[in-house]
Amino acid sequence: MRLFAKYNRVNLITTVIVMLFTGIVYYQAISWILNNQKDNDLNVEEQEIFNYVKINHRLPQIFESNDQQITFTPAKPNSVNREYINTMYFKKWNDDNGHRQHSQQGKKEGEFEAGRGLISSVTVGDKYYKILIVESKVETEDLIRIIFFITISVILFLLLVLLIINRLILNRLWKPFYGIMNELRLFNIADNKEIPKLDTAIDEFKELNRAVLAMAAKAKYDYKDLKTFTENASHELLTPIAVINSKLDTLIQTENFSERQSKILNDLYGAVSRLNRLNQSLLLLVKIENRLLHDQEMINFRELLEEMIAQFDEIFQDKNLKVSYTLNDKEIYATRYLVEILLSNLISNAIRHNYNGGEININLTNERLVISNTGGDMALPDEKIFTRFHKSSASEGSGLGLTISRQICENFNFSLNYQFQPPFHIFTIEFK
Amino acid sequence: MVNFKTANIREILQSLKSTAGNQRFIQLIQNLYNIQFVPLTKKVLKILVIEDEEGLRESIEEYFSEAGNVCETAAGYQSAMAKINLYRYDCILLDITLPEGNGMDILKTLKENNYPDGVLIISAKNSLDDRLNGLNLGADDYLVKPFHLSELMARVSAIVRRKTFNGSNLLLFNELTIDLLAKEVKVRDVPVKLTRKEYALLLYFIANKGKVVSKNAIAEHLWGDGIDMANNFDFIYSHIKNIRKKLMEAGSNDYIQAAYGMGYKFTEQ
Repeated sequence: MRLFAKYNRVNLITTVIVMLFTGIVYYQAISWILNNQKDNDLNVEEQEIFNYVKINHRLPQIFESNDQQITFTPAKPNSVNREYINTMYFKKWNDDNGHRQHSQQGKKEGEFEAGRGLISSVTVGDKYYKILIVESKVETEDLIRIIFFITISVILFLLLVLLIINRLILNRLWKPFYGIMNELRLFNIADNKEIPKLDTAIDEFKELNRAVLAMAAKAKYDYKDLKTFTENASHELLTPIAVINSKLDTLIQTENFSERQSKILNDLYGAVSRLNRLNQSLLLLVKIENRLLHDQEMINFRELLEEMIAQFDEIFQDKNLKVSYTLNDKEIYATRYLVEILLSNLISNAIRHNYNGGEININLTNERLVISNTGGDMALPDEKIFTRFHKSSASEGSGLGLTISRQICENFNFSLNYQFQPPFHIFTIEFK
Repeated sequence: MVNFKTANIREILQSLKSTAGNQRFIQLIQNLYNIQFVPLTKKVLKILVIEDEEGLRESIEEYFSEAGNVCETAAGYQSAMAKINLYRYDCILLDITLPEGNGMDILKTLKENNYPDGVLIISAKNSLDDRLNGLNLGADDYLVKPFHLSELMARVSAIVRRKTFNGSNLLLFNELTIDLLAKEVKVRDVPVKLTRKEYALLLYFIANKGKVVSKNAIAEHLWGDGIDMANNFDFIYSHIKNIRKKLMEAGSNDYIQAAYGMGYKFTEQ
């Protein structure tokens, strides 16, 4: 859930709750005030009755009016408690000048409306009367309804405005954040592109930007340091390896080795050549990552591939591998040296991890190069195989071959992926 | 077939070299009399090794001296400059990272003075820029450390061949004649059909005759060091078997011997 959505949700829910609560309080308050007012009216009416009775010593005449009905009923003395009630007000039709348009419909004589009443009592001479004054509350109700609708509309309008403003403002506010995020996503420790400085007035984002910049710079510095170290170490290793190599070459010129000595020398040769390859691979990796190999040219990929396959011919035969290939014409813009290494690595792998009498298929189309080979029954761990020094225990390789291959592919914006479709292990290069 | 083998005739032919007319004349005589001219195979090579790493310098010196060649050494910039200004060499092996100066400057001095010495750069830097730079300055070849001495020898031989025989393209070894341009091998006029790799291997052996060449060195020479087929050299064995068979069927001696399971040796018997 995005921060914006989360914030909006909380914001809206709170607003609705607060608004509802306010509405209820408002409604109650207005009802109370209006009731009070009605009660005052009733009081006034009651007082008028009392005054009339005091002066005239009889009950006043009752007039039918639109919003007031007064009834006198004889009652037992002192049986009536003075109280205000909510009651119904029966409104007769046709006895006013058509105050309601719909009064024409139906045969009914009137309708009930909400009313407010006052029960009181008066004594005229020796007679005791119960007084019931009822006033229609229709106007009050209408007023409340209008107020209620206005309130609701205001709430809805406010929500809408909040929503829009939030969306607009938050989107704009968070823009620098997403900018930083994007830069971070694109951040590559190995390339030379810097994260650009953000132009924002918000302190938090400025700080974030500063922190990100500092972090990126530090990571790059450390990485560069490490790379320089690797490069220097590998370079320094070259000379001793060269000495060992040349000394071995000199040693085998001396005569008469026993079988045991020859075996030891052979192992030494093997180890030195492995050490050398490993060292070369490390140097190559550093070089690719430094983008130091930029002499790119148009390469006829098909021809290059054919050459490579011919190069491996003896080795295919030695392992009795059945090699089939269909190659379409394809030109790529790349560094020849690197592409040769890439192909050599992939084909070497296809041979090395194959069994005697196995199969290798090579398929080149305009979109992709697919090299599939038979080999072990188990799929290789998909992403692990591309990491440095990952190799199967039986492998004689340096453990850097696929890492280098992927680096080379990335260098030219190709993708290199692995799949296992029994019995084939498939490596695919997608040209983009 | 008449075989001219006296040094006199060789020298006369040598002195005739390099003009187009003479080439045609030689060709004519060859065709007319069905004879094979034998270019002078120079027996003594004069080599200068400029390398600051003592172990490597000594190994190279030993490897190159054994065949009766003269191999001098220089450990630093100053002594190297002194030597190249005094003597001429068939080939100079030049390490470009020297403690007191840059090997490239030595190369520049050589070229500025128009000294004809062949130059092979041996460097720890495997960068294309360095390689191109060296070759542009007039070096004949560029070899990256670490290398096998047999590879170094093969490269030096190639340079010396190019330098000394100026356009001649025949390489001779006893009854073997190798046409370097046409890449054809003959045993006393009997053509031998070798594959590209077998041919390269034969040249490699001849350059390192009398030396044990390790299987690693052979594998790296033929397939490049990019191919790591460590400890699996069976395919080299079959290559060598084929070469021996083909040469012997054409009437050649058997020159290639297995050496203690470590490699092979091309001997003159």
